[in-house]
Parts: sequence; C-alpha cells; structure tokens
Amino acid sequence: MKTAYRLFSVFLLAVLLLTACQTPTPIVQTIQVEVTKIVAGTPEVQTVVITATPAPTLAPTTATGPVVIRAGTGDSGEGLAPHQTIIQNFEAKNPDIIVQLEPVAGSDYYARLLTQLAAKAAPDIMQIGDDAVPNFVSKGAFVPLDDFMKQANFDPSIYLPGLLDPGKYQGKQYELPKDYSPMAVYYNKKIFDAAKVPYPQEGWTWDDLLATAQKLTKKGADGKPEIWGLQLTANWTSGFEYYVAAAGGTLISADGKSYVGHMDSPEVIHAVQFFTDMYNKYQVTPPPANLNQWAGGNQEFANGKAAMFIFGRWPQAGYLKNPNIDLGVAPLPKDKVRANVLFWSGFGISTTTKYPEQTFRFLNYYAGEPGAQVWKDWALPAVKSVADASGKTKDPIDGVWINELNYLTPRAYTFTPYWGETADPALNKALQTVLLTPNADVAATMKTAAQEAQTALDKLLNK
Amino acid sequence: MRATTPYRRREAIAFYLTIAPWLAGFILFMAGPMLLSLYASFTSWDLINAPIFNGLGNYRDMVEDARFWQSLKVTCIYTAAYVPLDLAGGLMLALLVRPRLRGISAYRTIFYLPAVFSGVAFVVVWVWLLDPRGGLLNLALAQLGVQGPNWLMDPKWALPSLVLMSFWGWGRSMVIFLGGLQTIPGELYEAAAMDGAGGWQSFWRITLPLLSPTIFFNLVLSIISTFQTFTNAFVATDGGPLDATLFLVLYIYRQGFQFLNMGYASALAWVLLAVILVLTLLVVRSQRFWVFYLGDRPE
Repeated sequence: MKTAYRLFSVFLLAVLLLTACQTPTPIVQTIQVEVTKIVAGTPEVQTVVITATPAPTLAPTTATGPVVIRAGTGDSGEGLAPHQTIIQNFEAKNPDIIVQLEPVAGSDYYARLLTQLAAKAAPDIMQIGDDAVPNFVSKGAFVPLDDFMKQANFDPSIYLPGLLDPGKYQGKQYELPKDYSPMAVYYNKKIFDAAKVPYPQEGWTWDDLLATAQKLTKKGADGKPEIWGLQLTANWTSGFEYYVAAAGGTLISADGKSYVGHMDSPEVIHAVQFFTDMYNKYQVTPPPANLNQWAGGNQEFANGKAAMFIFGRWPQAGYLKNPNIDLGVAPLPKDKVRANVLFWSGFGISTTTKYPEQTFRFLNYYAGEPGAQVWKDWALPAVKSVADASGKTKDPIDGVWINELNYLTPRAYTFTPYWGETADPALNKALQTVLLTPNADVAATMKTAAQEAQTALDKLLNK
Repeated sequence: MRATTPYRRREAIAFYLTIAPWLAGFILFMAGPMLLSLYASFTSWDLINAPIFNGLGNYRDMVEDARFWQSLKVTCIYTAAYVPLDLAGGLMLALLVRPRLRGISAYRTIFYLPAVFSGVAFVVVWVWLLDPRGGLLNLALAQLGVQGPNWLMDPKWALPSLVLMSFWGWGRSMVIFLGGLQTIPGELYEAAAMDGAGGWQSFWRITLPLLSPTIFFNLVLSIISTFQTFTNAFVATDGGPLDATLFLVLYIYRQGFQFLNMGYASALAWVLLAVILVLTLLVVRSQRFWVFYLGDRPE
C-alpha cells in the first residue's frame, strides 16, 4: 500500500515537471487534425480527417488537402442555422477549404475573441458589431480588404446604400456587412383603428409624433394610462443618437476630439428635452421597466398596451406572430433633419490568419450575393439585387426598413475609438438622470455630461 | 527536532496526494495567469498588441479615477450589509432544519436548491419580482396599501435590492453550518438540560461557541465571494442607476473587455486581491478573541 502511494506521487510529480518544462520541438512530421462538424438541419455529425504539413513560412501555403478556416460569430441558437447553410454550400463548391464555425453566445463573445487575439489564436474570420470596428481595427486585429477586393474583382456597389460605411476605418475597408438594422416606428393598427387615428406617413415630424401619441394614450378610471401612445428606449445610448441627429445635433466634433460644444449644444439639449418630455411632461410613454440592456426593456408594445414603438428590426418576427399586434412599420419622423442611425455587424479577416487567400474566398461568398441569398430568410439582406429579387424592397414592412437606409447619419463611435470608454457612460448617466428626475435641468445635465466625457477623453488623448 | 513517525509520514503522503490534483490545476491554470496579470498591471496593454511597460502608471491613475472609488465604495457597503445577513440567515436556516425529523431532508434540499441554480437565471427572476409596476413584490405591497419603491431603478434602492436578492444564496452557508452543528456532541446539551438550561441558554453557551470555527470559516468564504460580486450587478442593473451598483469586478470587466485596458484592469484586480487579503488576514488574526476549538487550535 505504502509503495503504491509513493509510486503514484512520484508519477504525479513527474507529470507536473514534464508539463512544466516541456520544450517545443519543431514540428516536421505530418499532423492529423480531426474536425467534427455539425451539419445544419441534420443531426448527423461528419468527421473529416485532414492531413496537412504545416509550412515553415507563413507565405503561400503548401497545404496538401483542404485547409481549415475558423469563423468566429457571436450568434447563437437558431441564428447559427444560416451560417451553417452558407458554409455547407460553400464547402460543396470549394473542396479545398473546410470552414469551422466557432459560435460564442452573448456578451462573452468579445471577451473570448480578445483572449484569442492576445494568444494569437484568433479565428481567421471574425464577426464584430459596428462600434467594435474602430476599437479592433485601430489596434491592428483586422487586415484591410481593399487589395483582396481589387484582385477578386469584388464589386462593392452590390450593397444597399450605407452598408459598407460601418466597416471602414480611416478610408480603408476592413469589414463586409453581415446584417444590419436602421430604426423605424412600429405601430399597432388595432390601437390606431380603435382610436380612429390615421397611420403615420412619410414626412411626419416630432410634433406629429407627439400629437399622435397623445391621441392614442388612453387613461383608465384610476387616471393611469391603460394604453400608452409611444414606447421608447430609455437610456439606450446608441438608439438615442437618432434623436440627436434628427434635431440637427452631433455628440462629438468631426475631428473626434471634442464633446464640449456638441453634447451640450442647443440641438442635443432640445433632443434630450423632447425625449424626456414624452416620459415625464406629456406622459405618453411608459416609464422605463429597467435601465439595462439585459433585462429586455419595456413590454407594453408586445402586450398590446402601447400604440407605437421606435426601435430596430430585431423583434419584428415576434411582433408579426404576436396576436396582440396588427403590425405596421412607419418611417422615422423628422425634426430639423430627416435622419436615421444604423446598427450593423460584419465580417473581417484576422491579421493572424495563415490562409488569407482562402479566407477571402470564403468571405467573398459569406458576405456576398450567395450568402445574402441565405441571410434574406433570417434578416434583411445586405445585397441590393437579393433584396430586390426577393420582393423585400417593395414589401410594405421590410421596404420601410430598406428605404430608411437613405437617411443614415454616422454614429458617434465612428469619430473616436474612445467613444465607449469616455462619452457613452456620461450620456447614459445623463439620460438616466433626466428620466428618473422629472424636473431635471436638461441643459445643466448635458453640460455636466459633456465635461465628464471631455475630461476622460483628454486624458486618453494626452497619453 | 520533531521525530518523523511512520504515521506522520503516511499522513503527509496522503495530504500531498489528495491535494495534488488541485495543485496541478492551480499551477497550470491559475498561477500562470496570475503572474501574467501581475506583470500586466504594470503595463498598458490592449490585449491585441504587445504590452508596454509603464511602471506604476495604472496605480497612479486609480487615485484620480472617480469610478474606481465609487466601485470600491459600492463593493464595501454591499459586503458590510450582505456578509452578516448571510451568516445570520444561513445559521437560522441550519438551526431550523437541524432536527432529525421525518422528511427534513426535503426541506434541506429546498433551502439549498437556489444555491445550485445558475446566477443569471435567478437574477432574471428577481428582476421580474422587483419590477416596480408589474412585479410581484410591489403588487403584494400595494395590497397592503404600501406604494413600493422603484427598486432596481432608484439609485437609493438599487443596492439594497441586490442585498435582498442575495437572500437566495443562504442555502450555501446553511449547508456548511449544518455540518458544523453535527460536530457538536449531544452530551453537552443533555448535561445542560439536566442543569436546567433553556433553549436560549444552550444556544448562546453551547451552540454558538462550538460553532465558532464554522462561523469563522463561513465568514472568510463569504467575505471573499461577496467582494467578487459580478453577476447580480451585470444582469440586473448593469452597474446603474447612476453607478449606484457599480461593483469593482464589474468595473474591472468593463475596463478589461469593453474598453480594452487590460493593464489597468489587471491593476484593479490586484488592488481587489490586496483588499480581500488584508480583510481575510484581519479576520484570521481576530480568531483568538472569538473562535473556540474543541480540540487543538490548528497551527
């Protein structure tokens, strides 16, 4: 018994020492990689054994047999099906490439991606969202695509207007669009018809929005609204940029250096005042159900208790199936400017990829016309010909979203990679302040916010 | 000079053997990253490019960083409120389910169950319960004629709401207390009863002193885990409203993974470690004033 203990502990120690002191030996032999893929729609699992001899240099790959390209996405669950379908179609046409999808759900995705980047083990293709583009690109995580596009005769005009812009950084293209959504006004025809109020039309203004919301707000016996005119998005800062743009304001200077003079400008103050008045002065908007993105926000529109809702396209599929709602979608109202903002995610190629040619070939397919043919069944397609052919452009609902792309204004994050760290928390706090304190001094609140953001930005710029 | 008896040697071997898997995991997965983060705390590092050494720069920035002080304050207040409640609540539950009655294990399981659930799931449930208008809690209060507060959306109530939510975790300390209670010899209670001691007296004179090592253990565990609170604030409030629930770990996460200041985030993490270490040492030092061991005091 004693000897057995001793032997085992010696063994353990040896294992520890070995793992600790293992020196990397140059790999000269052929390695076998086993890749397990789950094929979309079928429970069947394919196991492919790939044999490849890693080349000593990074330059032209001398791989024998197919190469494996890794694609990182933050999509999950049902959202993975289109990825898998596209990959399957692509692999059928490109037998020299195997694409391995690496989904990471929710907000863990960026944390995971960053860890992989730090470890120089990032996926070859990475999907990232709009406001992450300057941050990742400015730090050198993505390769510019312009040369690839030129070589492959890739026509950038295949996309609907404005969809390439979020993927640009300092004049170069780094990402191609995957999916997107502008904002628009959802309305419930049932509530409009019951109140005999006409549906909103293109060209309407903020005054019309308020008047319509007031007509639709219906108070119960206890004086509290039973039906609210308009659901809004509380302290959701990126959505708030629409109100700023429509009021003719900006949150940051074009050179990306000043918040003071912008976040506290009369236009922005007007936008904040209008927004918060909907909640507190006119009381046509239900009070915020929560102040964070995770909790799902207000549910009045989904429950048939709010007549209108200004938001992106994400919940539309659910609303169309929702028995409380007879759905219509209207263009955004204008104030000084007919404006909109875009939410977007796209694909780019990692600087660490060993297979740039193959990866671009896949990207070209993923984000190009063949990919859009699949995406169109799940979201708005980015490619114009696909949107036209599928009838989406003329659709009474999806056509509204696509038409909104003609009014896009650049979001604040495009002017500085520090937006999320400096101004976003300040704007968030300002919106919380004015929403929670009905008589808040909006001008003073925005002045404080602008100064807070400026101080943080100056500190970073001076480093 | 201590003689090495075969028994002692065998015991030592058994000790190293049983701790080996943990030790291996620690060295492989914890010690390395910890050393790396210590180094990173003296650098400016965006995770993508190589770290740039900047000495004590991160620690100097912290002094002027209002959000850091706010997050430290929030974390300390929460710990001060939560830890005593956690110990008292866990002890209360343990005493309630202590008697060996038929079916008592069902109650034990029920009280312990919430500790097993995923953090996110139970926080989401609480967010619904605490909804100011449609939530169960405020509807119940309205029945009593009380207008409930705005809970998670009121800067004054948000942190107390999170303390309230954490009652859910009492089962974890309950289980440990239950284990501690079972080590108390029954003869002591019999003797006390014979001498005419009532329930309260037995509790104060026997249960509490003999349970003090378990209380000590739970106190240390509770302080350490409470200082690392993240999920509640991340899911329920996102640090708001107005930074009222900006916990230190949430702030570390934001700096590291949202703002890509991994160097600064590492420095914050080491400050957190230092705070926890000092507090734990203080508690360990205080042992001799209030912790009572039946056998030998551990060396």
